[in-house]
Amino acid sequence: MTELGKVYGKTSSQFAAEATRLAVADAGLLLSDVDGLLISAGVANDVGLELQVDLELRDLKLLTQMQAFGSTAGAMVQFASMAVEAGMAEVVVCVFGDAPLKEGAGAGDAYGAGHRAHSGWTGLQRSTGVVTPNVLYSLAARRHMLRYGTTSEQLGAIAVAQRDWAALNPLAQMRTPITIADHQQSRIISDPFHLFDCCLVSNGGVAVVVSTAERARDLQQPAVDVLGWAQSHPGARSRRDDNFGLVTGAARSGPAAMSMAGVTVDDIDLVEIYDCYTYTALVTLEDYGFCAKGAGGEFVSTPGNIGPAGKLKMNTGGGQLSSYYMWGMTPLSEAVLQARGQAGARQQDRHELVLVSGNGGILDHHSTLILGS
Amino acid sequence: MNVQPVARDTATAAFFAGTARGVFLLRRSARSGEIVPPSAVQDSVGNTDLDWVEASGRGRVVSWAFVPQRAADSDTPLELTIGVVELDEGPWWWTQLIDVDRDNIVEGLRVRAVFTKSGPAETDEYVPVFAPDEPLSAAASNTVSVAS
Repeated sequence: MTELGKVYGKTSSQFAAEATRLAVADAGLLLSDVDGLLISAGVANDVGLELQVDLELRDLKLLTQMQAFGSTAGAMVQFASMAVEAGMAEVVVCVFGDAPLKEGAGAGDAYGAGHRAHSGWTGLQRSTGVVTPNVLYSLAARRHMLRYGTTSEQLGAIAVAQRDWAALNPLAQMRTPITIADHQQSRIISDPFHLFDCCLVSNGGVAVVVSTAERARDLQQPAVDVLGWAQSHPGARSRRDDNFGLVTGAARSGPAAMSMAGVTVDDIDLVEIYDCYTYTALVTLEDYGFCAKGAGGEFVSTPGNIGPAGKLKMNTGGGQLSSYYMWGMTPLSEAVLQARGQAGARQQDRHELVLVSGNGGILDHHSTLILGS
Repeated sequence: MNVQPVARDTATAAFFAGTARGVFLLRRSARSGEIVPPSAVQDSVGNTDLDWVEASGRGRVVSWAFVPQRAADSDTPLELTIGVVELDEGPWWWTQLIDVDRDNIVEGLRVRAVFTKSGPAETDEYVPVFAPDEPLSAAASNTVSVAS
């Protein structure tokens, strides 16, 4: 992991290159050991295959950009795992780099360039004000509220719990504790979302190295096993009886990944859930089966369920809401730190089984990993 | 209401020709009869024989959000209501809702398309936004009063 957050003066590619060098060195490997490279970038999608040349990687057996939005990180680990299992490559780096924050510009302007279409179907949506993920996700959240009675204060319970975790994480951008009242008083972004319902915007890079169990055993870090995985891409139907906002791809991806690993939700020690919004974390918890469908609001707002003192150890680094926003690398990086037993003040004693989720588009793409230590 | 200019392109030309005359167009497969959104290129089983059909322009509210706007040239806070409308024909439409507020909006609220010019230029097309539908009786009495 590079330095993360308000870090300026580097391009996405430079962050990705730095993250790769750091991850390879962390594993006790040399760049010359790398024979596979999977590349992911943020909304601007500005890290290309040239990263191989930047890093002077020679004779790669596997190289591609991958794009499944916020589910990419999990998907990269899945494809890398299949590649090393198949013998196609032995040391595969999965890397993400992004630099949406510009010095002197607000975080709200970071992703503006993608919304400038003035013609066509996109232009028509934009014309009438249907523009940002903030708006689209808030429409999903409202639907959940209408159907199940979920409240803004219940969403706020997730923001508060994750800030409490972030206070224990030196890598987190936002470490000052907040209350439900702070959440309710934070400015409206797209009602029902307040500012504290929304993820951060961060610059930086994160990489993981995927290898065979045999090779990993002799490296300098504790190996993290990839025990199960799955994806689900429901395909937006956008018509009568659509379950938009109510059920996501997590409902299929989660059980499939847990089945592959031979575990159930009761076995999971830690959950690192993609939390672009508080609501995203809530609906994912329901879809994975950590609580009943529609009961997410009550579950997260009942004292003793989430947060550092809670029964369910969720988003132990503060998540995208309070630590850093590296797409799917946020939950994945925290999962790896916890599984390796290296999470410092927030390290959990029980870290044998860690569930990691990724979510992309407007709840369009989902990936799940089950990691073991 | 606050809409931004939008121009037609090849894919949207027929739709905007409809909005210019106050009609919301959807597409329908001649073979299956399935009605799909105007941007669709096939029905759900792959039929590409899509005709343009006039929809009712009416539907019901599925979800909504109140979105504060950053107004560069005004101190007056502006807030848009963005919603998902289920058209009576089945497809969903993501759009701006007008004449609604926190007190009168409910799930299932009946709405109808209102076509508004998206900008001053000749190439700025008419776009649909949705407003609460008047009860049929009121609409009928309006018609009578206009006729007399």
